[in-house]
Amino acid sequence: MKNKKLIDFKVFFNGIWKENPILFLMLGLCPLLAISSSTSDSIGMGIAFTFILICSNVIISSIRKFVPNQVRIPVFIVIIAVFVTITDYTIGAYLPQLQKNLGVFLPLIVVNCIVLGRAEAFASKNNIFNSLLDGIGMGLGFTFIIVLMAIIREGIGNGTIAGKIIFGKNYKPFLIMILPPGAFLVLGFLIAFKNSLDRRKKC
Amino acid sequence: MKKKEIIGGIIVLFLITSLSGFLLAQVYKVTSPKIEEQKKLEQERLNKEIFPEGVKFELSFYPSPLKGEGKGEGEKRSFFIVYDKNNNEIGKIFDTKSLGYGGDIFIRVGFDNNWKIKGIKILQHNETPGLGAQIVTKEWFLKQFENLVEKDIYLKKDNPEGKIDGITGATISSRAVTEGVRKLLEEVKNEK
Repeated sequence: MKNKKLIDFKVFFNGIWKENPILFLMLGLCPLLAISSSTSDSIGMGIAFTFILICSNVIISSIRKFVPNQVRIPVFIVIIAVFVTITDYTIGAYLPQLQKNLGVFLPLIVVNCIVLGRAEAFASKNNIFNSLLDGIGMGLGFTFIIVLMAIIREGIGNGTIAGKIIFGKNYKPFLIMILPPGAFLVLGFLIAFKNSLDRRKKC
Repeated sequence: MKKKEIIGGIIVLFLITSLSGFLLAQVYKVTSPKIEEQKKLEQERLNKEIFPEGVKFELSFYPSPLKGEGKGEGEKRSFFIVYDKNNNEIGKIFDTKSLGYGGDIFIRVGFDNNWKIKGIKILQHNETPGLGAQIVTKEWFLKQFENLVEKDIYLKKDNPEGKIDGITGATISSRAVTEGVRKLLEEVKNEK
């Protein structure tokens, strides 16, 4: 995907809805399913993820002309790993509870398909500014969906949102929403919803 | 791959990896003292919740009953000696683990000087949210253990003399915690 324009704001909106990384590209589902049972963890994950995506997109885009084709994948992964590690150490130093809750899924961002995918499909083929916009758009698109899913799953499955009780003390939680099947159910409905909206637009 | 491409690739990879390594070393230097501090604070917080009057928690060691545990300088397990503000020893805190439904449950138990349980904290677990995880969310469960002696530490359904009510729908997790605590008591009571 190459952009002829120097600065193309459509790239930003693309990542948020039209080509949303979760609902459309269907990448990076692993951390999504695992973390979306808690709203506060999802917000943390979304912010960390967006930061890493933006940094890696910008750096990879700025060196794209110097990287020989045969070594591009190791180069991308090293660069992504640097930012993931910086994020991991920083969260560990200042927000240790979040690091504990995210567990292995924070380091796993190194091989997250959204980050690697955007590096390969966009950042390595477009200028720095558009790559920055793509990073912000895709990052916000991911954050939007993971937080939305968390609000639904935690709300219905636990009666709370970010730990605050919302349905009153006598609410009997619909437990399956907090467990893995609930994650797949909510995701399936969200994808179906987006597809139905897209279909209507076409007609 | 042409020779020029190979050399180009080697140079680029070398530059990027060395730069990355250098950058990460700097970040590590800055954050690692903070990370150590967080770990210490977390330990303090947990210990203070078990012994609110505790002022100093001294790390100590006892020989491990298991052969081959620990590295090198002898098999030792760690525990804390608790002192109050007058420097009197008011108890001891031990860690143990017990096999629950979703893996090991790591438990921290505080004992007073008569080996009665002062308090319990679950450090880490992998029990099912909403079911086994209630051993953490339902505060009354862990509170039951306070002031018990060895013969009380059984689930009521496992032993008529037991004083512990399991959590409905979380029997395996409840039993794991109960058994773990009692086995720990049996083990350390004989040591000291």
